Amino acid sequence: MAGAAPGFWRNFWANAVLSPRTTLGFMRIDFVLGTIFVIPLMQMAFFAFVVQLGNGSVAETAFVVVGNAVATVTYPSIFSVCQTTDSEKQQGTMEHLLVSPAPRFPLYVGRGLVPIGISLATVTVGLVYAFTVFGVPFHLSAVGPLAISVVLSAFAMVGFGLLLGGVALYLRTSIILGNIFLFIGLLFSGVNFPLSQFPGPVQYVGDLFPLTFAVDAVRDSIAGAPLRVLGLDWLYLSVSMAIAIGLALGLWRTFERRALTTGSIARF
Amino acid sequence: MATALPTGLAPSGLRSTWASVRLSVLQFLADPQWLIPSMIAPVIFGIVSFELVVGSGPYYLVYAILGAGMMSMWGQTLYGSGWATGQDREYGTLEPTIQAPSPYLYVVLGRVLWNVISGLIGGGIVYLVVVAAAGELPTLDNPLLFAGLFVFVMFTLASVGIVLAAFYVYTRYAGFIQNIGEFAFYVGTGCMFPVIFLPWWTNPVSLVFPPTWALDALRYASIPGYQGFGWGFGVDLAGAAGTTAVYLILAHQVFRRVERHVLEVGNLSEY
Repeated sequence: MAGAAPGFWRNFWANAVLSPRTTLGFMRIDFVLGTIFVIPLMQMAFFAFVVQLGNGSVAETAFVVVGNAVATVTYPSIFSVCQTTDSEKQQGTMEHLLVSPAPRFPLYVGRGLVPIGISLATVTVGLVYAFTVFGVPFHLSAVGPLAISVVLSAFAMVGFGLLLGGVALYLRTSIILGNIFLFIGLLFSGVNFPLSQFPGPVQYVGDLFPLTFAVDAVRDSIAGAPLRVLGLDWLYLSVSMAIAIGLALGLWRTFERRALTTGSIARF
Repeated sequence: MATALPTGLAPSGLRSTWASVRLSVLQFLADPQWLIPSMIAPVIFGIVSFELVVGSGPYYLVYAILGAGMMSMWGQTLYGSGWATGQDREYGTLEPTIQAPSPYLYVVLGRVLWNVISGLIGGGIVYLVVVAAAGELPTLDNPLLFAGLFVFVMFTLASVGIVLAAFYVYTRYAGFIQNIGEFAFYVGTGCMFPVIFLPWWTNPVSLVFPPTWALDALRYASIPGYQGFGWGFGVDLAGAAGTTAVYLILAHQVFRRVERHVLEVGNLSEY
């Protein structure tokens, strides 16, 4: 497949480089810096003060602060990525994309490269705030596991964003989807309180979303959990990422076929 | 048009504002994504906050309802005002609107009025959801005073919305302010917790915003033993009224200058 390999990487790289300037949402430098440095601090502070209002303990504050540091990954990974579909429709480039012979995997996954980088930066900065501003206890031995957890979380969440982008191909706008999953994360992914507070079946709703595993993996890494526990967290994250990307490509293929049949997909 | 005010009875400004309110209502109904900032988000934040403060005292429900209600209004103000101007620019309708004989301020005023109304509706929904989740009514010694002051808080928020809308005409950074500023505003005004929880050196920044004063006054009036700013209810109320008046004057001046400037340089439609 000597001829296919350069085409694959050229396609992947072209999409990775071009998409921040064309289809990805929130990719101006001020947005990116605000997303990395301002949003995590404010979201963490907001919920930390609410815990303080409820006379919460130091452990409860740490729980909320770390949960929200990870949850802020939603902005660069889901919001920006799932807007690619809207942008294609609004710019009138969707039809051209659909008739292009370019292979879809490098095309779509290439778009996730920059958001993965920003997601990594957002969670990392959020965790630095957690340790330095909010005093969450941290041991240097946790750096390695934490780095693996953060990287896997960024990949998994961007994969989920691509999946929502696939769903948005069929919808008028993706903003609603992005918001809904932001709120689902705050409620059902164990960001602000343990899922055990919910009644039985509701506890398992969070298992459908990578954020739940991301929050678990980061919390376990900070707590110095044994490799057996961390390995399971990472396995869940990797599987959820693979499922999300697989479903995203499947959805794109299905809706593409439908688009080419009906000629109506570029409507918005 | 059945809903328009009779031409002979209404001044042109009032007619513009009324038309703007009507269009805002129709757009709200036609585009369900407005439900997110105005109703769905505050309900979620209300429930999350309720879960975090539940059982911490007899007035925890007041905090959850008040905070989430204010977030509902703020969502509408921030998104409604900013987005509307941004969309005008994107669709190419901002230039004709600015060139129309009616000042743009009256158009924005109509949008902000609808934001106030929908924010109040959102606040009502938040109230019902949080009360249903708690299974009890909030402890309020004087519900009428609470309701009156709540409407006043909304009014102070609206004044911020009008100033922001004026700047949105000029700036292409409305989206930035909306997304980055959302949580910063929630924290800075202490919408879900007393603002004195924040470091003292941030207080001057918080006091620039009328809702900070108004919320503190509302909590003084409705939560016995509340520890807010040391100066108490009366000064809070006066501060809220004063800063709101300053915001309204500022908005008027900014609108006049911005309108004149964008007509002179002709770059209104750039985005």
